Amino acid sequence: MHNCTRATTSFCRVTRGIRPSTPNMSVRQAPAYQQAQPERPLDDDSDVEEEALANDYRQQVGYTDGEGEDYGLERTDSLSSGPQDLQAQLQAAAQPLEYQATIETKIQSYDQYCNLFHFILNSEGPVDIEVPSPFWAWDVVDEFIYQFQSFCSYRQKVALQQATTQVNEEDVAVLRENPNTWGCYSVLNVLYSLIQRSQISEQLAARKRNEDPAPYMGEYGGRPLYQMLGYFSIIGLLRVHCLLGDFALALKTLDDIELNKKAMFARVTAANFSTYYHVGFSYMMMHRYADALRAFNHILIYISRTKNFQKGQQYDSIAKKSDQMYALVAICVAFHPTRLDDTIHTALREKYGEQLARMQRGGPEALPVFEELFRAACPKFISPTPPDFDNPQLNVDPIEHHLSIFMKEVKNNMFASTVRSYLKLYTTMDITKLAGFLEVDAETLRSWLLVNKQRSRQVRHTEGPLLEGEIVSANDLDYAMQGDLIHVAEQKVGRKFTEYFLRNCTRMY
Amino acid sequence: MAAFDFAIDRPENIEAILNGLDRYNPETTATFQEYVAQQCENQTYDCYANLALLKLYQFNPHLARDGTITNILAKALTVFPSADFSLCLSLLPVYTLVPAQNGVPPASGSLAEAVQHLSKLHDQLTSAGYADFWNTFEGDDLYADLVADVQGFEEVMKVRIAVVVSQCMQEVQRDVLEGWLNVSGAKFDHFVSEVCGWKIDGATVRVPLNKENEARSTLVRENVKFDQFGRLIKRAYEQPA
Repeated sequence: MHNCTRATTSFCRVTRGIRPSTPNMSVRQAPAYQQAQPERPLDDDSDVEEEALANDYRQQVGYTDGEGEDYGLERTDSLSSGPQDLQAQLQAAAQPLEYQATIETKIQSYDQYCNLFHFILNSEGPVDIEVPSPFWAWDVVDEFIYQFQSFCSYRQKVALQQATTQVNEEDVAVLRENPNTWGCYSVLNVLYSLIQRSQISEQLAARKRNEDPAPYMGEYGGRPLYQMLGYFSIIGLLRVHCLLGDFALALKTLDDIELNKKAMFARVTAANFSTYYHVGFSYMMMHRYADALRAFNHILIYISRTKNFQKGQQYDSIAKKSDQMYALVAICVAFHPTRLDDTIHTALREKYGEQLARMQRGGPEALPVFEELFRAACPKFISPTPPDFDNPQLNVDPIEHHLSIFMKEVKNNMFASTVRSYLKLYTTMDITKLAGFLEVDAETLRSWLLVNKQRSRQVRHTEGPLLEGEIVSANDLDYAMQGDLIHVAEQKVGRKFTEYFLRNCTRMY
Repeated sequence: MAAFDFAIDRPENIEAILNGLDRYNPETTATFQEYVAQQCENQTYDCYANLALLKLYQFNPHLARDGTITNILAKALTVFPSADFSLCLSLLPVYTLVPAQNGVPPASGSLAEAVQHLSKLHDQLTSAGYADFWNTFEGDDLYADLVADVQGFEEVMKVRIAVVVSQCMQEVQRDVLEGWLNVSGAKFDHFVSEVCGWKIDGATVRVPLNKENEARSTLVRENVKFDQFGRLIKRAYEQPA
């Protein structure tokens, strides 16, 4: 197939494409699959020109190398469908692929996305199309990333199975020959191009400064289509970075978006959920458990309050994802004991009560629970590059990779709760005595105490971009060692009167 | 504390790359590599930029340089117990960390070997086994090679450990601290009194009180804002009882 030969050129074309100055879309790669499509340009009736375009098309199919700068002509492929076809394409782009889609369908779907985005981004001037539904932009971006993720996972699975069992050799061959299909550069290129075309970052930044965003919109940014696609591409990027294991960059992506109930993503429940899930997860992987809990809490409370208004199918998927999020909440609470909101607390006890108790007890018995919950609740991590089909032993499931990093953190922390439960009982304590209770030597206990103390110092977000934060003591138990003597001090929370006062005042009327 | 993506010594050109799409451009790999070398040399540190380089390697495995990766990891060790080391690991090729299916240890001189070795140091540091850390570090010649480019690695690690100690302890036995810092005798006296500014009193070392090692009980009080009463006041105003 032709794709192999094009691999190197398309690579530099893609990188060229995502520079700010040249937001050219150049993600199309496999024109051979589009042969079913008519080649007639939309608003063109000249035969001469049509022939020239057809020639150009043929050239591209047999294309091996070259500049490829003339994107203006390439666009004919994507414009080739009539307005009705376009509506069908728009619809299709937001529709999930069927579960048992063949590898050809998946690759074909990739090409269709490329064509569609190419058409939207690189037509002369903004395209004027009516979107099928108000949430279309989110659905498209969401489905696009989902297919990217599932394709990478599938590719990984084939490579892994290759080491042990017989796999479909044809599929391996197709995957080998299409290393750039659903490539991470293409996917990022699409998202970044949509963001740049719509100048959404500039608009959001202006809004943040309480300015009118209109002067920053440019030719494209004022149109709802571009605005929405750009906006949801930011949310999409958050997810992609998370899937690739770049948690700091994931949070950085949201610099221009303010996380609050008025934000645009909050109007689409699925987007709202996805945003907080990925923000919370990224915080968790950055060891900022208090911030992670805050994100999870916010969205879980929202879901529990609005569940009566949610519609059938969408609600089912949200409910399933909520369960995953509760597992993450359980993990964070085990790391960082906190008082939760009553609704969340009740639901958590109901769903993961036993697991939480085991994690809070700590020790080696807790490790399998952490592992089980992490596996159940983590994003479906992917590897950005195709697996090595020739050296199967090098292929490791990316989920195992992230799990092992996470478990290191768990192991370092697993005695924290045991130590804490004892310290709570005393104001001063001798190390050797406590070591005797815990059946360890003084040396080990001293290390546990140091670890626990460091862990209680956490970066916590107060205001501004998500990566910012202050180091605070995130623990209700503080202690210091004076030689072999431990001084323990407890942080007490005073009674809260305001709520009570206000509630009773309203009752009076 | 400043934001995670901020580094005080970051040159302007790096800042520009990080904020633009050039952070994905393989051509910037060389610039980032140079910057890592600079950080090793000048004892500065910029995790956010290093992660960007690891991401470039992640996307373009053929460009990856093992030496630079180990330098980045060694630099990340010097800021324990932060999450930096874990964040770097997340972007490494998957085969470096998870033991191969057949249980064969990684080949000598391979990236996997280096990563797993440094990872062991990291585990010991974050579980506060500082004496074990030094034993491991000095027990294998490979470690000296792995951190060779990082100027003053051992010195920085001593200071970092001392910082942790100052946050948790008011007094510590001399022999314990000697083990943790891996120095003894006159050198120990010098480090503790000159570099840290602590007092040696016979067999104990006294750490001056600071905000962290005081262990004082506190009472968290409710923070009442006027806004909370807004509705109540409005209501009282609109329909007087």
